[in-house]
Amino acid sequence: MSRRLAVLTAGAIAAAGSLAWSGWPPHSDYLPILICYEVIGLSFLVAGIAAWARWPASRLGLLFTIAGYLYLVPYILVNLANPVAFTIGNLSQGIYTAAVAHLGLAWPAGRLRSRFECGVVIAEYVTAAGFSVAAIVFWNPAFSGCDASCPANVLLVGDGSRPAGNAINAIGGFVGLVLTGIVLTLIVRHWRSARGWSRRAMIPLIWLAGAVGAEQIVTGSALDLPLSSLISFGLAPLVMLAGPVLFVISTVRARTAGGALGAAIVDLEPGASPGRLREALARALGDSTLQLAFRRPDGTGYLDTAGQPVEVDRPDPGRVVTRVVGSERAVLVYDQGLELEPQLVRLTAAAASMALEHSRLQAEVQAQLEQVRASRARIVQAGDAERRRLERDLHDGAQQRLVTLSLALGMARDRAAADPELGSLIESASKEAREALTELRELARGIHPAVLTETGLAGAIQALVERSPVATTITAVPAGRLPAAIEATAYFVVSEALTNVAKHAMADSAEVTICQRPGRLVVEVSDDGAGGARPEGGSGLRGLADRVASVGGALRVDSPPGCGTRLKADLPCP
Amino acid sequence: MIPGLKDQAKLRVVIAEDTVLLREGLRRVLTDAGLDVAGTAGDAEQLLSQVAAARPDVVLTDIRMPPTQTTEGLQAALEIRRRWPGTAVIVLSQHVETEHLFELLAGDPRGIGYVLKERVADIAQFTDAIRRVAAGESVIDPQVVSRLVARPRRDSPLETLTEREQAVLALMAEGRSNHAIANQLYMSPKTVETHIGNLFAKLGLLPAAEDHRRVLAVLTYLRQ
Repeated sequence: MSRRLAVLTAGAIAAAGSLAWSGWPPHSDYLPILICYEVIGLSFLVAGIAAWARWPASRLGLLFTIAGYLYLVPYILVNLANPVAFTIGNLSQGIYTAAVAHLGLAWPAGRLRSRFECGVVIAEYVTAAGFSVAAIVFWNPAFSGCDASCPANVLLVGDGSRPAGNAINAIGGFVGLVLTGIVLTLIVRHWRSARGWSRRAMIPLIWLAGAVGAEQIVTGSALDLPLSSLISFGLAPLVMLAGPVLFVISTVRARTAGGALGAAIVDLEPGASPGRLREALARALGDSTLQLAFRRPDGTGYLDTAGQPVEVDRPDPGRVVTRVVGSERAVLVYDQGLELEPQLVRLTAAAASMALEHSRLQAEVQAQLEQVRASRARIVQAGDAERRRLERDLHDGAQQRLVTLSLALGMARDRAAADPELGSLIESASKEAREALTELRELARGIHPAVLTETGLAGAIQALVERSPVATTITAVPAGRLPAAIEATAYFVVSEALTNVAKHAMADSAEVTICQRPGRLVVEVSDDGAGGARPEGGSGLRGLADRVASVGGALRVDSPPGCGTRLKADLPCP
Repeated sequence: MIPGLKDQAKLRVVIAEDTVLLREGLRRVLTDAGLDVAGTAGDAEQLLSQVAAARPDVVLTDIRMPPTQTTEGLQAALEIRRRWPGTAVIVLSQHVETEHLFELLAGDPRGIGYVLKERVADIAQFTDAIRRVAAGESVIDPQVVSRLVARPRRDSPLETLTEREQAVLALMAEGRSNHAIANQLYMSPKTVETHIGNLFAKLGLLPAAEDHRRVLAVLTYLRQ
């Protein structure tokens, strides 16, 4: 940085010194123009420093600085009141145009793209220098209205020749015009073939090219229009200024790209798709062509976020591939021009890696959660199946045997009519058997209600309501069959709710409503009791909430003290 | 043909029950009680073919039978009623729930019985139930009815019934005739009719002369 500062300081001192040396104000009529030239020259120097700082790997900074000195120095020399300096100044006044053409063709990497372009640039320098030397030999300062106070042209041959000088200038102007045309065409071709970052980076250049083109056309064609001097001395320098200024502005904006990258990653919502990540990174990097590509699961090549195949091992011309750190699968493919901003690319790759890692972890957690959910549902369903089996075993086994026993006891009693004592013994045994049957029936029903499997929710809820010790009405219940897990869950919700109503609510009445909505089953049990039920208190409600969650539903308990209890289960139901 | 018109001297019965021990026990008990067991079946398919072959007066069937152990017996009973409407059917259930009961009664309640399985222990009562359904009455298990009657209700006219009226109502729900109610409650048939008139008025039910309509009306009312 200090070297660049030194260059700039030297330029600035030289410029200021030149003004002082030439006796302030030297030619008061031309003072505004002079200041204008100084500002343009300095702006190229500033742009050179900016380019050095922004793209250390590019020779653009050097080219800016050379153009700046080639622009500035001749004007300083011309004003030094020294014949040699005056002559060199006049001689070198037009060479900066070659440097600007060089700058334009080498944009933005600072390297020329082909041998042809090298030739064009050499031709630019040779033409500018050659015709200047040829012309200066015939140029008497007096031709330009310079009086005796002007320094002498040390290269003047004899008294000079105005027609010869004009002819050389005209030829030189024409050749220069042709070269400018070639350079502008090449630049437009660069612009048109550039994509993404490189295209953005060419925006200030297009301004500069336009400005130089306009100036060259006006001065080179030596049009003697009334406005030509205004364009030549007024407008062209101002447009000339636009190039470096735009470049500096774009540099300042680029410096905030790192911040933009941070913002882009922060704005990226958790679990954003790779497509969204690509958009955020492309925005931050200023390269709309940025691709985020992932290796196919079978390992045969890469696909970008739009599903298009990407050649990673042999990228397209002008494209560069960078692997995303920490991910064996992901690569970034971007415009080659971005190699000038290695820091930004590194930051982007790091951001991509973080975002992808985040997504991966999130997907992992999601998958685990899904597994846990599925296994919970399976456990509950297995429990249900087990209860069904148990109930059936009780029915087919113990209950049938007890009925058979009762029948046998009945027969025995009929035959023991002659022996009252035996009769009463048998009668009491029979009574025991009956009670055992009743208890067993209740037990089996509690384990699993057969009526639910046999007839569905409507019958089972009716059965629950019939046995509820609190007056309970059913306002709605779907008549058709539903998935077994949903039927069972809805049944247990109502069963548990009615048990709670009977045990705790001190209610006079309760109401059961089961409604089928699109994709859902809403089970509601409300009572007019004391309220104050806490979902977190009591294992009954907590178990019920778990059970509802096992099928992906949600349980809500609304129980303000003194205002009854409303239990609502929202179950997914296809 | 209405079952009641059949000569009751020797009722022909088909028994469907998948537990062999119980099935054979029932056969013996019913034969001892003077009924003609015309066939036995271990599942619904056998039952239907037995009924088709023997054309019994009464079919006795367990609700749960192979292969699915759910409601095969009930479905078979409905099928029998559809194909041979004159056949009386008693369904043996282990549920006090009324869902199956209403499915069974929905068509024509005449000659239909819904009895808890453990009733077989009281042989006299059980054979009486068989004879009643054979005579075209409805027989609803007293325990099923008493649960319906005892259900808590709010602002129900049922609460305004006297104890006597409630007893009459329960017996009506069990499918008893006026005569049987009078006998059981030691009243004159006239008194029974008065009670029935009063309680129907209190409940807002239309008096039904026929017993089988009365059963359904009362049960439906109680179930609400």
